[in-house]
Amino acid sequence: MKDIYILGIETSCDETAASVVKNGRQILSNVINSQVKIHAQFGGVVPEVASRKHIENIALVVDQAFSDAGLEYADIDAIAVTNEPGLIGALLVGLSFAKGLAWALERPLLAVNHLHGHIYANILEHEDIEFPAVCLVVSGGHTNLLLMEDINNYQVLGASRDDAAGEAFDKVARFLGLGYPGGPAIQKAAQKGQAGKIKLPRVFLDRHDYEFSFSGLKTATMNMKKKMEQAGELQLWDLAAEFQQALIEVLVEKSLQAARQYEVKSVLMAGGVAANQQLRSLMEERAQSQNIKVFYPSLGLCTDNAAMIAGRAYHDYIRKSYAPWSLNAYPSLSSW
Amino acid sequence: MLILAVDSSTPVAGVALVEDHRVLNESFINYKKTHSETLLPTIDRIMRECDCKAADLDALAVTVGPGSFTGLRIGMATVKGMAMAVNKPVVALSTLDTLAANVWASEALIGALLDARKNELYYGFYRSGDQGPEALLKDMIGSPQDMVSQARQLLETGQRLILLGDGYYRYSAYFEEEFKEELKAMPGHLSLPRAAAAGILAVNKARMGVFEDPYRLRPVYIRLSEAEYRLGKGEM
Repeated sequence: MKDIYILGIETSCDETAASVVKNGRQILSNVINSQVKIHAQFGGVVPEVASRKHIENIALVVDQAFSDAGLEYADIDAIAVTNEPGLIGALLVGLSFAKGLAWALERPLLAVNHLHGHIYANILEHEDIEFPAVCLVVSGGHTNLLLMEDINNYQVLGASRDDAAGEAFDKVARFLGLGYPGGPAIQKAAQKGQAGKIKLPRVFLDRHDYEFSFSGLKTATMNMKKKMEQAGELQLWDLAAEFQQALIEVLVEKSLQAARQYEVKSVLMAGGVAANQQLRSLMEERAQSQNIKVFYPSLGLCTDNAAMIAGRAYHDYIRKSYAPWSLNAYPSLSSW
Repeated sequence: MLILAVDSSTPVAGVALVEDHRVLNESFINYKKTHSETLLPTIDRIMRECDCKAADLDALAVTVGPGSFTGLRIGMATVKGMAMAVNKPVVALSTLDTLAANVWASEALIGALLDARKNELYYGFYRSGDQGPEALLKDMIGSPQDMVSQARQLLETGQRLILLGDGYYRYSAYFEEEFKEELKAMPGHLSLPRAAAAGILAVNKARMGVFEDPYRLRPVYIRLSEAEYRLGKGEM
């Protein structure tokens, strides 16, 4: 069979990214232009600023993806683009560029759900995933526990009722004065401290469902900090470590509970929070005794990238599930 | 010289295919759907109707602002994608120049006004030259009152003032009150930016070899983003 080369474009948040993936598996290029330093001065991603950087960078990033892959524009078989969920103005830059490129090259356009992309990052790197599988999606915008029958079928088991896991990391990091982005900042601070010295709640862990809530943990962390400050004994590193542990234990325990209930052998993790070292090691440690295999993408593929978009789109290309030229972008997830 | 011109800088989505002085096909959509949904299907239709492919074009043209931030980026991203796919040059046009090109061979002072929201206008003043609009004052932002006082300074005795653009409609009662008989409005088919006008202007620019680097091209926003503005004022 002929080799299929797909260009992926991703601009849903603060990364302008493009990648060429061969046959849905082999990453030939993976270009990411991160705006993280620009947004750090605002203490978070500013949508209009992100959109402005995307339109400045998109052409260079896409061109780089082709040259890194050693391909000409005409060599590509299809163009894939993230069209939901994300910052609407940011998504529209990638989407519009992808449409212009696909139309002028006379190639099909493929629409990719950003979260399907994150999950697919696992499949790009691991060939031994057994389906059905339980998948934990944890990012700055989403916290979902899913049951995947196969690559195309998702059943939502539960979600966060309030803040997403990554959002809780960002907010708490800001409150503790640890900086932005919050995930890496808290992970670094936690390494200097010890979890368990201070006690924070494991919210919803006692419930036998797959719902999450992180807003209460965030408030408890803030209250604990004030209390410690008043007592003149703020242990910032221990507090960061306990916050991280409290959040992660809930994610791990609920994921494994779902794996047992649905009798699956694989647990997948996806999204930016899946880059957290403590989450990775705790999940592996507790899964091992239950004979469950844990998969997660390498660090570079946990955060936003276009390889996961190009890879995921291969399966739509194969079944000729092309997007129309009228394809729009959407800020929230329309469905799994 | 075959040029495809795209304008999505205001609520109007405009696409035109122009060959030298001839407009071959034009679409002007000032209706509910978003630019994201309408723009590419319109480009596809117009090009098909003229048996043209992207590779047949000599250049692509796009209005680069001022205008709606998101609208500008939709048009520009689409044009960048097309231009890079077939390696064609890009001509950039001011939205205000394009709007002013709706008036030709007139002695009047031309004021092109775009609604910038927050009680402000993006505006420019032009006179009608032999080759199209000639800017006297361009890419301004200010209140309708600012615009009126600048118009008064530029208006010569007995000269008429033509105002056009969605910024005119927004404050038409105020402008009529201020200028009375001096003021002339344009009819509906000439009061908003036309991609055909952008195409004609683009042919002139392309003949003079005025092209943009698609890698570096960015919209002319005039305004900072709200966050940059607040950061500059020390509020963030």
